[in-house]
Amino acid sequence: MTQLVLGQALNGAIIGAMYGIIALGITLTFGITGIVNFALGEFMMIGAYATYALADRGGLPYPVAVVPACLIAAAAGYLSNKAFFRFTRNNLVNGLLVSIGLISIFESASMLLWTATPVEMHFVLPGALRLGDIGLPKMKLVVFAVIVAVIVATYFALARTWLGRASFAYAQNPEAAMLMGVHTPRLETAVMLYSTGLAGLGGALYASLYSLEPAMGGVYVLKGMEAAILGGIGSLMGSLWGGVILGVIEGVGSIFLPTAFRDAYGLAVLVAILLFRPSGLFGDE
Amino acid sequence: MTGQALLWGGLYALPIFVRSDFLLTIFIFTFIYGILAVTFDLIFGFTGQLSMFHPAVFGVSAYMTHLLAVHYKLPFWAATVPSAAAAIVLAIIVGSICFKFRLKTFYFAVVTLAFAEMIRLGVMNWNSVTNGTLGLVVAGKPTIYWPGSGIVPVKGPIAWYYLTLVCLSLTVLVCARCLRSWMGRCFGAIRLNEDLARTLGINVFRYKLLSFAIGNALASFAGGLYGYYTGYIDPGYLGINQSMEVLAMVLLGGQGTLVGPIVGSLVLTGLPHAIDLRAEVRSILYGAILIFTILVMPRGIVGTLNAWRSRRGA
Amino acid sequence: MALEVRGLSKHFAGLVAVAEVSFRVAPGEILGIIGPNGSGKTTLLSMMAGLLAPTVGSVLWKGREIQRLRPDLIAGLGIVKTFQNPQVFAELTVSDNVLVASHLALKRALGARRGLEVLGAAQAVEHRLAARVGEVLALCNIGAAAQQLAGNLSYGEEKMLGIAMALMCDPELLLLDEPASGLGRDEVRNLETVLDNVHTAGTTLCIVDHKIGFLRGLADRVIALNYGQMIAEGAPEQVLNDPAVVEAYLGAGHARA
Repeated sequence: MTQLVLGQALNGAIIGAMYGIIALGITLTFGITGIVNFALGEFMMIGAYATYALADRGGLPYPVAVVPACLIAAAAGYLSNKAFFRFTRNNLVNGLLVSIGLISIFESASMLLWTATPVEMHFVLPGALRLGDIGLPKMKLVVFAVIVAVIVATYFALARTWLGRASFAYAQNPEAAMLMGVHTPRLETAVMLYSTGLAGLGGALYASLYSLEPAMGGVYVLKGMEAAILGGIGSLMGSLWGGVILGVIEGVGSIFLPTAFRDAYGLAVLVAILLFRPSGLFGDE
Repeated sequence: MTGQALLWGGLYALPIFVRSDFLLTIFIFTFIYGILAVTFDLIFGFTGQLSMFHPAVFGVSAYMTHLLAVHYKLPFWAATVPSAAAAIVLAIIVGSICFKFRLKTFYFAVVTLAFAEMIRLGVMNWNSVTNGTLGLVVAGKPTIYWPGSGIVPVKGPIAWYYLTLVCLSLTVLVCARCLRSWMGRCFGAIRLNEDLARTLGINVFRYKLLSFAIGNALASFAGGLYGYYTGYIDPGYLGINQSMEVLAMVLLGGQGTLVGPIVGSLVLTGLPHAIDLRAEVRSILYGAILIFTILVMPRGIVGTLNAWRSRRGA
Repeated sequence: MALEVRGLSKHFAGLVAVAEVSFRVAPGEILGIIGPNGSGKTTLLSMMAGLLAPTVGSVLWKGREIQRLRPDLIAGLGIVKTFQNPQVFAELTVSDNVLVASHLALKRALGARRGLEVLGAAQAVEHRLAARVGEVLALCNIGAAAQQLAGNLSYGEEKMLGIAMALMCDPELLLLDEPASGLGRDEVRNLETVLDNVHTAGTTLCIVDHKIGFLRGLADRVIALNYGQMIAEGAPEQVLNDPAVVEAYLGAGHARA
């Protein structure tokens, strides 16, 4: 029994890391630019399909395919910001509505290109690590390690550098930041590029493990939002913890209650957090 | 006022001039979705609460109306009443939680979405009752009393046209009455400045809940009608894309108006069928319209027309 | 005795905004509350209106404790507060703004039967309310702007609209938070006339302001706050010349009256 729980927990944690990287994108975007990008899952989907196209169809080795995939996702993010998102700064409802529109567009475009039939990439890194009775596929561990590394690196980059402080100054008071020499439109663009690029990376990593379908973005952005809120919007490390906790709750929870309701756990936790501790587990009051 | 008279008069007179079943069908769907859109606007455009809960009552009442009619041998109309009651109960539970905790707009949307999703998952997995993802076939028909013929089933596009139009008219009438009264003033006050409304003696929690309950209760009728008209119900009724479609209709047509959502419904229901598009392309169009409307024309068609007209008059 | 404030304190994470303030407001009087910026006047008033919960202490209205009640219930009991930065419904016309404020009046007139009004069956009450809206607008001298959008008003007009809305609630006790701030000389005189009329009609007023001259002529009694504490209480001239008060406003060097 404990092996089962442990196994589910570990698998859940790995999936949770994937929620976390989306959560990081959401938290960064909202925390710094005040824009709510609920369409972030679509950029994950773009990164995933781009990786599939470049690696499987295009013949590039997987690690090489990941980089342009992220760039493609980031480019899409840049265009979305330039055309739409930047007009929704601090207007949560409009940001949500624009996101919904973009989700429709991207998902349907993807359906036209790839059809609704799920596609799967060939095995990138076969083999698994054995921990007692639990088998953990090596690729999953790689994915987990990469995501954690990226999130931690982002945290240090923002917490300890001038750029980071400038970003948070901008978040607090854009005019003052501008007067102090922070080039604000460029900062906003940078944040959008980075967060969508991150989502693209998440997608690229996802592609190595699971099958892809056009609707995948919708599911992950909801989980990412739950993770971001759970960890506390604005808390960078919180997005990783929030994601992992969510993943573990789902994984372990599905042992005891029907798997069909797995998504419901996250939703119930989300509601509870928003009602009782809206600043999340690691956010400030 | 004459604009309204023309509109409704035109709609009621339409089947005299329009014989095409295809066009009548578009209007039938327009009216059913119109009920959803108008009631959503009551909560969103007038009271300022972005609710993503509509699909939940739409779907639940579709299932309930059919199941009650089948298992308890009830006529359609008798079955809609408990469904509406269920919608009110759900709205009160969810609404009380959300409004008690004073959730701000965005979080209110997220929490109502979460609740709607949980209900959808429940419906989807309750196979014994709902038949899960396979859905249910609705063979029954609503019946009405027709003088001279007694109780007759509603069959055929013209009968359905008038049935749905009457339901829409009643919905609009009820909403209009509420909005023109002190209730409407309270809703508007809550939308514009909640804190000020409180100091003027308005129980914000109670009236948010009232708006939410009325909107969801009336929306439940759309669920029953839709299920019976299309003859098929599945958990997709409770999905997020229903929210998106209704939202698009209200934003495009004009939030904060009663006619706007109907116009939006007509455009978004009619256009995809007028231009023969694949489902995916239609979705892309929805998305584009949504974005365009928010960024460029936030008042929607009717709202922009109204503003333009008052500027010319003033 | 209409309102009593007993040992009222408000702490904000280490900052003491109001410290153990106690006083009474007699029915029908005009009480002024003065003090330099940051002395806790607005916080005090907010607690009296139920917009803020006190950390310690109580507010009693006709003998009943009200500090934990919701603001709309307190308004229903007869206490209405205006805001320092005028709060209006910007997208509605001036008269619609006041009409929104008729909610309490409608409740009192119809009670549980106000469902009738929804059905259009309460014409008499509606007419009365509409007439009252006109009266209140005229009383506040903004009748001419009745059809303008509240968002387009000048600052002074917005402030008068705020007062008009408060008056529409038929308050027994009207709490005014810096009603004269930001107003020009003519507007202040207009305000004084309006408040005088309101007072003559029987409403108790509690006015917070830091414009001493404004309160000097209007108030029956004045209390003074400094750093959240009450430092003087009494007749206007007496308080305004109190050395502690002068020091609070102008600094120790001016303490000699």
